[in-house]
Amino acid sequence: MKGMDVRMSKVLEVNNLQVSFDTYAGEVQAVRGVSFELEEGEVLAIVGESGCGKSVTAQTIMKLNPMPPARIKDGEIILNDKDIVQATEKEMRQIRGNDVSMIFQDPMTCLNPTMQIGKQLVEAIKNHRKLSKDEAMEEAIRLLKLVNIPNPEQRIKQYPHEFSGGMRQRVMIAMALSCEPKLLIADEPTTALDVTIQAQIMDLLQEIKEKTNTAIILITHDLGVVASMADRVAVMYAGKVVETGTSKDIFYNPSHPYTKALLKSLPSTDMDRSTRLVSIPGTPPDLLNPPVGCGFASRCEHCMKICHEVYPYQFDVDEKHVSACWLLHDDCPSPKVGGEK
Amino acid sequence: MANAENKLLEIKNVSKHFKVSEGRLKAVVDVNLDIFKGETLGLVGESGCGKSTFGKTLVGIYNPTKGTVLYYKEDGTPMEINKKTLFSYSKMAQIIFQDPYSSLDPRMTVADIIEEGMIIHKMYDKTRRKERVFELLELVGLNREHASRFAHEFSGGQRQRIGIARALAIEPEFIVCDEPISALDVSIQSQIINLLHDLQKKLNLTYLFIAHDLNIVKYISDRIAVMYLGNIVELASSKDLYANTLHPYSQALLSAVPIADPDKETQKKRQILEGDVPSPINTPKGCPFAGRCPYVMDICKQEKPPLEMKQGHLVACHYVKDK
Repeated sequence: MKGMDVRMSKVLEVNNLQVSFDTYAGEVQAVRGVSFELEEGEVLAIVGESGCGKSVTAQTIMKLNPMPPARIKDGEIILNDKDIVQATEKEMRQIRGNDVSMIFQDPMTCLNPTMQIGKQLVEAIKNHRKLSKDEAMEEAIRLLKLVNIPNPEQRIKQYPHEFSGGMRQRVMIAMALSCEPKLLIADEPTTALDVTIQAQIMDLLQEIKEKTNTAIILITHDLGVVASMADRVAVMYAGKVVETGTSKDIFYNPSHPYTKALLKSLPSTDMDRSTRLVSIPGTPPDLLNPPVGCGFASRCEHCMKICHEVYPYQFDVDEKHVSACWLLHDDCPSPKVGGEK
Repeated sequence: MANAENKLLEIKNVSKHFKVSEGRLKAVVDVNLDIFKGETLGLVGESGCGKSTFGKTLVGIYNPTKGTVLYYKEDGTPMEINKKTLFSYSKMAQIIFQDPYSSLDPRMTVADIIEEGMIIHKMYDKTRRKERVFELLELVGLNREHASRFAHEFSGGQRQRIGIARALAIEPEFIVCDEPISALDVSIQSQIINLLHDLQKKLNLTYLFIAHDLNIVKYISDRIAVMYLGNIVELASSKDLYANTLHPYSQALLSAVPIADPDKETQKKRQILEGDVPSPINTPKGCPFAGRCPYVMDICKQEKPPLEMKQGHLVACHYVKDK
């Protein structure tokens, strides 16, 4: 069974995180109160469209976004029982790599083009661990083997341009794993790659999770990738998490109208052109002036008066399955959307 | 659908090579293909396999290095596409580009962008052209008021609609859709797919739909061609290709696509290809897929398999038996 580890210790807890960017046009409220938690060896997928705040959430956990313009307005990020919102840059440098590391969407730009792969790995290893140069080099070779790069002894002397996109992403994963972090954040790790290479990388992440019991936050907009890897899913829309649940809850029993529409907008394998795709009319709201009520209200087919006025509470659909939608309120008159498929 | 009299384009031995410092880059190699009126032909493959180059060759942006493209006019007479006929052909064939951000001129209003093609092809008078711009905007789901705005004022999905209106302005028969949705968000993608489908029915258009998202291609296409290193390795109807995938590359490609269904995903045996797509520069002889193929035989490294009819598919593979 996925995620059924005996030592279910909590790695990360994010509570009511709010992140804003101060721009000339005003305050962009990119993340407007996000909460979730993550246990050891668990894969949490954060899905949503571009601009929904999923990457900002991830970058804030690493505190990678420059402050200013970014600003953590409120909330806490508890990583290994320590709130890192107040951590200084010096403390963060220790936390990054040791406790949490990240792989990015674009493996082409994340490596230094003028440095050999081995040197870059050694640099990362020596920054965090007390190893001699030779030991660090051996460790680098071991890591490249771990991510299934053939001939690591020769490969470490090569430069990034001699690696293909998939291979570079493997190097990035090796680097992220160099200090055995408890938490790995993968921000669209396969978006820039072709499907056959994507399959290789997803396979590798799965293998690493099983070997090292690392918790993974997988940020993606590809629901197929989510289905193949995630234990739990958080669906984000307009800076808020609208629905969380296990992978099965989300795919087979979605409750929030946005999640439902998102799933229906994908053509399934047995569909042909006689069935029309469901499309969501309109576009996401502008986060310079976010709506007071539900962010999805203006695009929602079940929208009620209250949806525009008050942001919905978190309603329990099931154990571990939570959805923020007024339709789930006991007093809601219309046929409930929750529960049915 | 595949009716010989209905041929719109006949592509004969088309190759497109580029000269690069390391040698010759063979982007498209000996492609033979017919495109029929009113159909959607899907073209799939990994990045760098030559699918966009092929699409651009079909609308005359590139001249083929070898081979010919024949266009069948309304009365059934073929016209070869060359420098002389390119202008009249360009009225029949248009392209929708992948990136709606860089394919619209930022200094032109939407009306100018849509009208430009009609001016070049001397269609209609000035007042009728203005009316046509409004009609086209409404056809693709935008408003009249949008005509005087600039491209940067629109979202990605709206820009793609402008790109579609621009392509439709000169009333083409054939449209190459070069990854029209890969730059868009999931919820916007289905809007554009539905729009393209409606327009096809309304205007009797023929599409070459290039994409790497195989689920979308299966949904929208009548037939699908799979391309690898500039070669078409398999061509079959959309249903057949998925029900009975023959070429080892097509099999790997299809099994690599993740499905949005956790149960199916855990049960599915994913066939993982070793290695990467080889460079299209100075390719070795033999089958282009030989280096990564799990069923490779000696003959595969010696002789390039021809694209032939096997089990109802056109497939280029020595391993696939004809039953």
